[in-house]
Amino acid sequence: MTTRTHGGTLSRWLFLGEWRAHRIQAGTAIVAIALGVALGFAIHLINTAAFNEFSAAARSLSGQADLQVRGPQPTFDESLYPMLAQHTNVELANPVLELDVALPGNSGERKNSTLKILGLDIFRASDMAPDLIGIPAEDKLLDILADDAIFLSPAAMEWLGVKQGDPLQLRVGTQTITLRIAGGLRRARAGQRIGIMDIGAAQWHFHHLGQLSRIELKLVPGIDRAVFTAALGQELELRGQYLVTDTADQEARIANMSRAYRVNLNMLAMVALFTGAFLVFSTQALSVVRRRHQFALLRVLGLTRRQLLKQILFEGAALGSIGSLAGLVLGYLIAATALYYFGGDLGGGFFPGVRPSVHFDPSTTIVFFILGLGITLLGSAAPALEAASATPAPALKSGSEDAAFSKLATPWPAVVCLGAGGMLSQLPPVFDLPVFGYLAVALLLIGGIALMPRLSALVFSAILDAVTRRGHGAMPTLALARLANAPNQASVALGGVLASFTLVVAMAIMVASFRVSVDEWLKHILPADLYVRTAASGDTRGLRPDETKALAATPGIARADFFRSSQLVLDPSRPNVALIARPIDMADPGNTLPMTGDAIDADLLREDATPIWVSEAMVDLYAYTPGRRVTLPVAIPPPDFVVAGVWRDYGRQFGAIQMRLADYQALSGDQKVNDAALWLEAGVTPEEAIASLKRLPFGEALEFSEPAQIRALSLSIFDRSFAVTYLLEGVAIIIGLLGVAASFSAQALARGKEFGMLRHIGVTRRQILGMLAAEGGLLTTLGIVLGFALGWCISLILVFVVNPQSFHWTMRLSLPWSALLSVAAALLLSAALTALASGRHTVSSDVIRSVREDW
Amino acid sequence: MQLFTRDRTHTSHAHTAHTSCSLARLRIAAFKRIAISSSGFLAICFVATCVLAAPPQFSQVIKGKPITFPRDFGAHPDFRTEWWYVTGWLETPDNKPLGFQITFFRSATEHDRDNPSRFAPSQLIIAHAALTDPAAGKLLHDQKSARSGLGLAYAKEGNTDVKLDGWRMLREEDGRYQTSINANDFTLRFSLTPTQKPMLQGEDGFSRKGPRPEQASYYYSQPQLKVSGSVIRNNKETAVSGIAWLDHEWSTEILDPDADGWDWIGINLDDGSALVAFQIRGRDGTKVWAYAGLRDAHGRFTQFTPEQVKFEPQRMWRSPRTDAEYPVAMRIQTGSTVWVLTPLLDDQELDSRHSIGAVYWEGAVTVTRDGKPAGRGYFEMTGYVKPLRL
Amino acid sequence: MLELRNIGKAYSNGRRVLADLSYTLEAGEYVAVMGESGVGKSTLLNLIAGLDAPDTGEILINGVVMSSLDDDAATRRRRKELGFVFQAFHILPHLTLRQNVSLPLLLNGVQVEGAIEAAEKMLDAVGLNGRGAHFPRQLSGGELQRVAIGRALIHHPKLILADEPTGNLDPDTARDILMLMRTEIKVNGASGILVTHSRMAAATADRILVLTKDGLHPLGAVNSAALHQSG
Repeated sequence: MTTRTHGGTLSRWLFLGEWRAHRIQAGTAIVAIALGVALGFAIHLINTAAFNEFSAAARSLSGQADLQVRGPQPTFDESLYPMLAQHTNVELANPVLELDVALPGNSGERKNSTLKILGLDIFRASDMAPDLIGIPAEDKLLDILADDAIFLSPAAMEWLGVKQGDPLQLRVGTQTITLRIAGGLRRARAGQRIGIMDIGAAQWHFHHLGQLSRIELKLVPGIDRAVFTAALGQELELRGQYLVTDTADQEARIANMSRAYRVNLNMLAMVALFTGAFLVFSTQALSVVRRRHQFALLRVLGLTRRQLLKQILFEGAALGSIGSLAGLVLGYLIAATALYYFGGDLGGGFFPGVRPSVHFDPSTTIVFFILGLGITLLGSAAPALEAASATPAPALKSGSEDAAFSKLATPWPAVVCLGAGGMLSQLPPVFDLPVFGYLAVALLLIGGIALMPRLSALVFSAILDAVTRRGHGAMPTLALARLANAPNQASVALGGVLASFTLVVAMAIMVASFRVSVDEWLKHILPADLYVRTAASGDTRGLRPDETKALAATPGIARADFFRSSQLVLDPSRPNVALIARPIDMADPGNTLPMTGDAIDADLLREDATPIWVSEAMVDLYAYTPGRRVTLPVAIPPPDFVVAGVWRDYGRQFGAIQMRLADYQALSGDQKVNDAALWLEAGVTPEEAIASLKRLPFGEALEFSEPAQIRALSLSIFDRSFAVTYLLEGVAIIIGLLGVAASFSAQALARGKEFGMLRHIGVTRRQILGMLAAEGGLLTTLGIVLGFALGWCISLILVFVVNPQSFHWTMRLSLPWSALLSVAAALLLSAALTALASGRHTVSSDVIRSVREDW
Repeated sequence: MQLFTRDRTHTSHAHTAHTSCSLARLRIAAFKRIAISSSGFLAICFVATCVLAAPPQFSQVIKGKPITFPRDFGAHPDFRTEWWYVTGWLETPDNKPLGFQITFFRSATEHDRDNPSRFAPSQLIIAHAALTDPAAGKLLHDQKSARSGLGLAYAKEGNTDVKLDGWRMLREEDGRYQTSINANDFTLRFSLTPTQKPMLQGEDGFSRKGPRPEQASYYYSQPQLKVSGSVIRNNKETAVSGIAWLDHEWSTEILDPDADGWDWIGINLDDGSALVAFQIRGRDGTKVWAYAGLRDAHGRFTQFTPEQVKFEPQRMWRSPRTDAEYPVAMRIQTGSTVWVLTPLLDDQELDSRHSIGAVYWEGAVTVTRDGKPAGRGYFEMTGYVKPLRL
Repeated sequence: MLELRNIGKAYSNGRRVLADLSYTLEAGEYVAVMGESGVGKSTLLNLIAGLDAPDTGEILINGVVMSSLDDDAATRRRRKELGFVFQAFHILPHLTLRQNVSLPLLLNGVQVEGAIEAAEKMLDAVGLNGRGAHFPRQLSGGELQRVAIGRALIHHPKLILADEPTGNLDPDTARDILMLMRTEIKVNGASGILVTHSRMAAATADRILVLTKDGLHPLGAVNSAALHQSG
């Protein structure tokens, strides 16, 4: 017992002494760990808060229902409702018509917005979802049933800038209707923008007569939910295609919507932590090398190997604990701030309209603490083991520093890592997530970095030979000699910068490939001169047949293609699939759709099956391979289709199906369309066409966009969704540079004696600084070259494995040369400056002392 | 697990309670006699009318327009309010008395009649059922409401046929009423057979409710209904028989703005006669209007003017729940005849403040005529509790 | 006290430094070892300290064979029974003098307060009274070696190993240090081995031995010409 106490004292003395002397190194390591943990923790908190709030909000819309019955299409015929309501085992059936209704686009911010409106029967809903009841004014109690009244949640009122008693305009087709805001809701979640109105009024005003979105069921107590679900499913099969789902299905559906996005963002956040680990490794490794003599002395004085190992790990743990704790606090603050100012949506657009607040969750916090601490200990482990296993007697002599890293020079572990990474990248996804893809990325990174010492020894020896033969000056030779002959220390310095630059290169190539592909795709899918719609989105937009005729007949319009888009549910636990009906050139669908090349020959299409073209996600998620015959619930009974080809879709990661508009209208009887693509006659400008279209009776309700505008808007949305990615990359770079600073300053300190000697033999201070800058620059150049090669390999995995497996779309590889070069140049410059700055301190210290000092 | 289940139950009750606050007044709106206690209701309807672009035009009650059967057994959706109100005395096989009440209300709303949606809430159906058991010492009651439509709730025209989910009242071809109520704590299945012609109240069914001529309703009663059927409580079915009274009344505006409450009695007399008497009370408890009609077993009908009808409280009972004081024993004078009502049970108060938001006393009573036992009836008192401030 | 039995040791490059060396050091004896550079003086000290193992033969300290111990056991013996003084002082730069001197006590499990108190006393004894809170960078070379001597003796080891302790010091300081070391070894009742090139230094020991390829011999039994060159 006593031994431990006094060992503890000794341990503390050594640790505090070291820290007092090397505050900057310890500080950078702590900052690196803290930043890594903070980012990972913040992103996790934000995503979790947003996701929980989003699913809670979604859940709050279905109250205390045991089960939900819905159709494969967004709405279904209301005749199912009386049947369910009178079912023996059903205690209460609550019919719901849920619509996203477009707001007339006059104010900029709301332009592309819709308001979620629930049409409810208060007599049923008051028992099922009592929160969703409007509160009318004292003297207008019957507003609850009024045909012109709507009740808005506080967030909706705030968002729309309206109050009780105000009119509310909504866009239905080409018309604008006005409702009266009759009051608030009994209870709504913070940030939840919803409106409630009478179901009869909603059906009428929003042109959904006879239609319901879902029926929520509360079962008679004692009825087995699973048994009933199965029985009801069978019963309903006779009436058409219906889906009976319970809460778990809905949760799964919501989770599936954003899972790939959340996992990918978390992985990205881990990159920062990962880079931090390399930094800890280099800080610890260099600190151990610097203190090699001290440790040897302690071993001679009687410190056992185990005690020494514990001492070094203890120092690492202290760094890790302080860094992790600071990171947790910082991460919490970042999350709280981000949620307060920007809401929960980190640019992915998955969590619109929720205002979550950050929740402290002890278990997650502990996980992130352990992650930060673990990564620090991992970074400390190798240097600690090396120091403990060193033989004390030779270690007391000077000049043995680089030997400390000799173990790192073995190339085999690195080669094994690279090989395993390559193989793992070929494995299929697990639970729809590219688990092996990420593992492969990590292995390539580790392998590449581990191979660094060998490579740098090879490269710098070769350069040194060349330089020596040509007889260049002494200083370049000195710099190169050090890099060539002590390659291990040099590589350690580079670990962090290599890791971060590699990942930046990989991410930049991936994002650029994605962006270029999206841009080309947009060009392909926007061939017309002008696009027309009544609202950007929502369930109430659309043009009636007479309106489409008038549109097509407008002078100056050479051709008008009309689109009908709607939603299908093919699997209740997955998000909706988009269904787009439009004219498609049968002879060559590639004229209309951005085909992947995966298609069956048009001649092979049989007369009896209607062709559909599916997005890549449909192949991955539903196995809709070309030639397969499928049924789609667009009519009752569901008609047969054959998958005629696969097209590329960057807009809908959950799947989309295209069919010919004529087929769709014949099968479904639905004559409405949402959008129109217009080709103009030669000589007619878009402005002229818009002017004449505006003169149509419903012209004021039309929104026009030119392909260039749509492209610009789409790309800006794209960029916004990657903004967080850029931010995380930036932080990874900063951590990498911190690593350069830490290791160069540590080395400069360790080399104080060397510099003192050089100064004694007549080398100027400027020359020493030049040498340091040259060393830093050369090392970084090598890091950049290697990072580029490694990053390119990793980007292949991101582009061809991680993206298709996460989001179900493929893309073409393209390299953003200018961006990469400028990042490389910036990195090079800052690394050289960092090396210089950290050297300046040492060089300016007392020359005489530095020669005399033992260490 | 046990605790959890119990907690859930509490929560859902709490929800129900909250939910119903605003609904309550809506339901009060349709409530016949209770509507009086919420004297602000008319004003509410009136204001709502002003806001609407296309308010429905309701029919008015006009004197001299005859009641025609069987058409007038059915619903009259053009009038704002309508009800079928059955009360009666039952006897179990072991000769224990029970009292019951089954009411279906129809209430037309201001919702735009142009709305073709089958969910359009133009007509609301509200139902109320209660069972008095002196052995249990209290009243069991339940209520339901829904919009009419989709075959789930309706009040059909042409003959009495009212439905609200599992609650139903149907008049068959032979004039017999079948009614079935599946309430929370009890189930009632009755067959009600008329033994007499319908009794037209007031002047051939034109029944005035206030000093102004438009304050009137169409009103007929079916007294001396023979009841057979069963009562199910705690999964135990009891065969019952007895005698009941049905009121069917429809109107658009019946209430005087000064009205604060009312007392109503319908009595099946043992000799086959039937008596209806009511008074509408003003804010200070004074009589705003009163009426009594007596039909003897031979069908001779006597009507009493408001001045000839006097209600005099005999004994008061204070509700421990609401602190309201009800004259549970009442002396009623019609002309020279004196009737004294004795409740089957003092506590027949329906405290529905937390479900439908209304409180009234509705109960089985025995009646003496000039001191001699004469029959059994149902007595209703409203407006004895201050309206809830919401 | 210390017994060397037929010690043999070769470097990893194959050069043989010690061969069949035997010697017995009595308790309380303080000997100086001289010899040509590269003859294996430091290697001999490392072997005695248990920092290195002999290829052949045995080293016994108080009857225990050092070379039979594993690293942990050797380390524990070393911290308990041996004290070291180096030519390059080897004082930990970031610890105060009293912390440096108390290190061996702490390693041997002595209470911190006691260790610090003993260190202060020891600093007094080596002529550095009142400087316990100073850091090594505030001291001259001679003072640093005084600290090292204090550290070597504070835990009352049975054997002090000193490798050229005055190699980095001027003659006057060296003389003071050598006298101090001798005094302290004797006061503490320890034995000592002083490896040195300097005859003057060697003269402060009880006996002088010369290490040659053939073994350890008393001074005079070998040609001392080589020794005159140094010191």
